[in-house]
Amino acid sequence: MSDQGAMRDHWYPVGMTKQLTAGGRDTLLMGEPIRVYLDNGAPAVSDGTGRSLPVIDRFGHVWTSLGAPNRDLFTIPEADQPGRRLVDVGVCRVRCSPLRAVENFLDIAHFPFVHTDILGSEPHTEVQRYEVEIREDVDEVWATKVKFYQPQAAKSAEGGITTDYMYRVCAPTCSVLYKTCPPKPGEWDVIALFVQPLTETLCEVWPWMALYDDAAEMTDLIHFQQMIFVQDRSVLENQLPALLPLDPGMEIPTRADMTSIAYRRWLKRHGFTYGAQLVAA
Amino acid sequence: MTTDWTPAALSRDIPAASAAPGQLGETDLAIWRSASGRIAAWSDRCPHRGMRLSHGFVRGERLSCIYHGWGYGEGGQCVRIPAHPELTPPEAIKVPVFAAAEASGVVWVADGTPAGAPPEFPGFEGFRSLRIHAPATVLARAFGGAGHVIEGTLGPCAVVALIQPLPGNVSALHLLAPEGAGPATLDALSLAAEALRRTAEAQAEQAEEETA
Repeated sequence: MSDQGAMRDHWYPVGMTKQLTAGGRDTLLMGEPIRVYLDNGAPAVSDGTGRSLPVIDRFGHVWTSLGAPNRDLFTIPEADQPGRRLVDVGVCRVRCSPLRAVENFLDIAHFPFVHTDILGSEPHTEVQRYEVEIREDVDEVWATKVKFYQPQAAKSAEGGITTDYMYRVCAPTCSVLYKTCPPKPGEWDVIALFVQPLTETLCEVWPWMALYDDAAEMTDLIHFQQMIFVQDRSVLENQLPALLPLDPGMEIPTRADMTSIAYRRWLKRHGFTYGAQLVAA
Repeated sequence: MTTDWTPAALSRDIPAASAAPGQLGETDLAIWRSASGRIAAWSDRCPHRGMRLSHGFVRGERLSCIYHGWGYGEGGQCVRIPAHPELTPPEAIKVPVFAAAEASGVVWVADGTPAGAPPEFPGFEGFRSLRIHAPATVLARAFGGAGHVIEGTLGPCAVVALIQPLPGNVSALHLLAPEGAGPATLDALSLAAEALRRTAEAQAEQAEEETA
C-alpha cells in the first residue's frame, strides 16, 4: 500500500508479550490484518497471507514490521538500570491518527486543561522556553530543559512540584519521556508511548513505564496512567481534521509547540506520512 | 452557500456560559452563549490544533478551547494563550464566525448576512430538537407536509416543525410547542415526536432498500 510510505519499514508494537497465547491476537497494522501469537513459546507474527513477519520482543511488547527495517528497534538504556519497576500499562484504543497520539504525548501546554489538578492547574499555565533539536547521529527528535508546575506529577508525588521533562521521539509512532522522579531526586522516571497504527485514523496506544516508585501498588500505577490517557482520548477523538497536518497553514503553533513543530518537520522530511495530511485542505 | 437563516438549535438547549455542537450544511459549528446571554455560532475548530470548540468552556464573554485553553472573544478573535500569558495573540488567530440570532426560542444561523431577521412564530416557543436518520423530504412527508417550515398538528397540539437538512441523509427536527403548554401536553407531544421519528426513519430505510 503506497500510503504506508517510508513508515512501512519501521517497527511497531502489536501486543503485550505477557498476554500472548497460542491462539493469538488478530489485529491490524497500517490497514493490513496480522496475527500475533506464541509459536512454541516464542512470539510470532504473521500477515493475512500467512507470511511470517520479523519479530522483536522488547520493553514488554512484541514489535513487528510489514517491510524490511534497515535498523534495530531503538533502545531505552534506562530500562536496564537496577531498581526500576517496569510497568506494562495495557492498551487504549483511540479513534485518531497515530501521529496525533504521539504529538499529544509531546505536549505539555494541555496539562492544566485536560489533566486538571493532576498534571497541571490554572493559573500555572505558562510554558517556559525549552530546547528542541533533531539529533542527526541517532535521527531522533529531542526536547530538553522542559519545566512545568504540576499539582500531582506522579502517583508518588505529594503536593505540587515543578517537574523537569525531556522528550525523545525515537520512531515514527514512539516517544519516550523522562521526568523528575519524586522519590529519587537526580534520577528520571521513564514513560514511553508506543503507538500501533491500525489505520490512518485508528490506533492502539501501549504506554510503558520504568519507574523508581517502590511504594505504590502496581494496579495503582497502571490506573493512574490509564486515567491520564483516557483524558487525552477525549481530545484526540475530536480534532479536525483527523489526519495530522504536516504543511503549515492548517494549524497555528506557538513557541510552546516547538517539539510538535520539530516532530512534524521530521515526519515530513522522512516521508513518514501514514496518518498525516500533506496539503492543507 | 445560502445566506438564508437555518434553524440550528433551540435556545433552551444552550444555557448561559455553555457551548454545544451544531451544523450549517457541511460545516460543523460550536454554538455557544456567553455569561451575559449573547448567542454565537463559530466554526467548531480551534485554529491551534483543530480541537472542537464545542467541547470548550465559557468564562464571561469568552469561549475557550478545552485542549490548551486558548480563549476567543468578540468576532472569534483569539485573546488569550495560557502557555504565554504575557503575549497578545496575533490578529491572524481567529475562528471563522457565522451569523446567529434567536427568535421564538430557536437559534438561527447563516453564512453571510441574511437580509432580514429570522422568522417569529407568535404563540410558540422552542420545545425539543430531534436528530432523525431520514432526509428532510421524507421527514416532511411523514409529518404530512412539505418544505422546511411546517405548521400543523402533532399529537395533542398545534406545532411548528422546523426541518434542518443535514449531510448524509440526516435531518434535525426543531419542534416548537404552544407557549404555556402544560406538562401532560408536552409529554404527549414528546411521544408523538418520537413516533414521527420512527415513522420517518422506517420510510427512509424502505426507500433505501427499494433503490438498492
